[in-house]
Amino acid sequence: MIERTDSDLGDRFRALRREDAAAARPFDTTLASARARRAARPRHRTGWLAAAAVAVAGIAVALLLTRPHRHRMTVDLASVRWNGPTDFLLVLPGDALLRAVPDLGRMNLSTLLDRRTP
Amino acid sequence: MSPEALELELARLHPATFGWAIACCAGDRSAAEDALQASYLKILDGRARFDGRASFRTWLFAVVRNTAAELRRRAALRRLLPLSVLGDAPDGRPDAATVLARGDASRRLEAALATLSRRQREVLHLVFYQELTISEAADVAGVSLGTARTHYERGKAALKKLLKEEPE
Repeated sequence: MIERTDSDLGDRFRALRREDAAAARPFDTTLASARARRAARPRHRTGWLAAAAVAVAGIAVALLLTRPHRHRMTVDLASVRWNGPTDFLLVLPGDALLRAVPDLGRMNLSTLLDRRTP
Repeated sequence: MSPEALELELARLHPATFGWAIACCAGDRSAAEDALQASYLKILDGRARFDGRASFRTWLFAVVRNTAAELRRRAALRRLLPLSVLGDAPDGRPDAATVLARGDASRRLEAALATLSRRQREVLHLVFYQELTISEAADVAGVSLGTARTHYERGKAALKKLLKEEPE
C-alpha cells in the first residue's frame, strides 16, 4: 500500500520503531508487573467498595435521623357523613311522620298543619 | 489458544505492541506501559478472547487501542475529580523520558503527528510503522475501509506538508 514517493515517511517511521524497540522493557518484565498489579488489585477494590458502603450507610442513617416527623391524619370513618348532591331527591314530604313512633293518646298538631294544603 | 501459546504470541509481538501502545497514548511511555499491562491481563485472564476472525496481531492491537482509550477516560475523570488519593493522572503528552530517548528526526515526526487527528495518527502509524494494510488498519481502528482510506490520504498529505515546512 505504501507508494514509492512515501519512502521518506516509511524511513522516518522505521527509525521511530527502532528507537521504541530499543527502549521497550522486556516482555517478561512487563508481564511480571502486570501480574503483580493483578495480585494487588482485589484488595484495593475491596477497600473502595467498603468505603463506599460505609458512606452510603452513613447517609441513610443521617437521612433517617434528620427526617421531620410527619403527623399522620387519622380519619374516624364512623363519624363521617357524606352528603351527595342528589340526596334531596330522597327527602319525602312528611317523612318525619314515618320516622316518628305513633302515639295514639296524643295528637301532634304541628304535623297536621304541615300536611295541610295551602 | 492455550495460555502458553498466548504468552508466546504476546512475547513475539511485544516490541511492535509497545510501539502501538505509545502511539495510542500520544507518546506517553508510562501510560503506554499501563495500557500494555492492562491489555496483557485482559487477554491472559480471558476477559478479551481471540475468536480468529482477524489475525492475532490485528486483534491484539484493537485490544490495546480499546484499553488505552479506557485508561484515557479514567485519567480524564481523575483530572476532573479533586481526589489526590487516586494518584497523578497522565496528561496525554509525551513524557520527558520519551522525548529524551528520541532522535531529532523522530522528535520532529512525533511533533508533526501530534498535530493530526487521533484517527489519522492511528491509521498512519498502523500503515507506516506497523506495516499493516489499510484494511487491517481499519479493523484495528474500528472504522470502515473507506473511512480508514480517507484518514490515511488526508493524514499523509498533512504529515508530508508539515515535515516539509519543518527546518532540518
